[in-house]
Amino acid sequence: MVLGSAAKQAEQLRKDGNLYFKKDRFGAAIDAYTEAITLCPNVPVYWTNRALCHRKRNDWLKVEEDCRRAIQLDHSSVKAHYMLGLALLKKQELDEGVKELQKALDLGRGANPKGYMVDEIWQELAKAKYLLWEHASSKRSWELQSLKEACETALREKHFLDDSQPEGFLDEASISHMKQLEVLRQVFRKAGEADIPSEVPDYLCCKITLDIFRDPVITPSGVTYERAVILDHLQKVGKFDPITREPLDQSQLVPNLAIKEAVQAYLDEHGWAYKMD
Amino acid sequence: ALDLGRGANPKGYMVDEIWQELAKAKYLLWEHASSKRSWELQSLKEACETALREKHFLDDSQPEGFLDEASISHMKQLEVLRQVFRKAGEADTPGEVPDYLCCKITLDIFRDPVITPSGVTYERAVILDHLEKVGKFDPITREPLDQSQLVPNLAIKEAVQEYLDKHGWAYKVD
Repeated sequence: MVLGSAAKQAEQLRKDGNLYFKKDRFGAAIDAYTEAITLCPNVPVYWTNRALCHRKRNDWLKVEEDCRRAIQLDHSSVKAHYMLGLALLKKQELDEGVKELQKALDLGRGANPKGYMVDEIWQELAKAKYLLWEHASSKRSWELQSLKEACETALREKHFLDDSQPEGFLDEASISHMKQLEVLRQVFRKAGEADIPSEVPDYLCCKITLDIFRDPVITPSGVTYERAVILDHLQKVGKFDPITREPLDQSQLVPNLAIKEAVQAYLDEHGWAYKMD
Repeated sequence: ALDLGRGANPKGYMVDEIWQELAKAKYLLWEHASSKRSWELQSLKEACETALREKHFLDDSQPEGFLDEASISHMKQLEVLRQVFRKAGEADTPGEVPDYLCCKITLDIFRDPVITPSGVTYERAVILDHLEKVGKFDPITREPLDQSQLVPNLAIKEAVQEYLDKHGWAYKVD
């Protein structure tokens, strides 16, 4: 491929920018990328590189601008969607930010499931989802608590109005009233169950990491593992299934789509499970 | 009997018959426990609604028909109360089994789920039947598929069991 002179110059400027970036000279890097953009405005990488510099300087408005430009030029740019997501989160646009991060994650997994970017994107996405949950759940808890107290008060008052026995006398109505309050407590406990952190079901967790699945794959022996972890095992430990010890090759791994759906449904109901330790 | 039968011949008529009886029994167990619970919950829910309504009318000083903040808040209260009791009675109220626990062909909850190389999970007996009578390909992705490539989806099997333990109504076979 023969690069035109402008393209050649732009590429050189990009290299310069990369060098400045490595030395933490973000201002100089931005200048270099800006010149490259001026010469060749339709190269997505120049925009995302510049966006990364803006990110380092916490210039989130500029990050958003450059990322949106990059996405226009390349819909499948992982870095652009990722940094756009982060910028939107900074603006407190949580729902939009989460959408962009999810897009970046899906694109990233398609390209390189084991890459460092995928892990980083997941961490940020999980953090954002956890915040969303925390916010919604404290609102729900408060609402439940108020209603529970209102019901208890209303039931008590009704009982005392209806009750014609002298105080202290334990009759059928009183016993039935106390049972009522007990069942009420159980009902409200059940209603608030999903918001209380507990244990994620075994079948939704990798047997090696013990964490909830992010990208589950199943082996011919029927066991499901976290993709990045089993790939790592096959590469570094040996070409066999960690649990059954049957021979296993990377090509035999199948995405467990049903479990992936199950994990998403569980996280939608139990947002506390997004918390990374 | 079911586990032994499946080991020997997953497509056999015996397996299906055993499953039917087992499901019927589990359903009856659930029905018995659940109708008692449902009645208890329903009574309590009505008692709460009545008590809250009475309290609201006692406290409320506005003329009838006037929609003020207290009335709106009272109606919201009743709505949340309904949700609370719906959630509490979830185990006892037939609903929809989640998609990922059902075979895409039969639309029933899985009994013996197997996964194909394309990542789709089917009911074992049904996919075996398809491969024999329709053709050696994945019904949904249409990729070539042989019986030997089917892998038991153990994780989904566990998920189904846990769901049935919590939602006994799902044992009802039509």
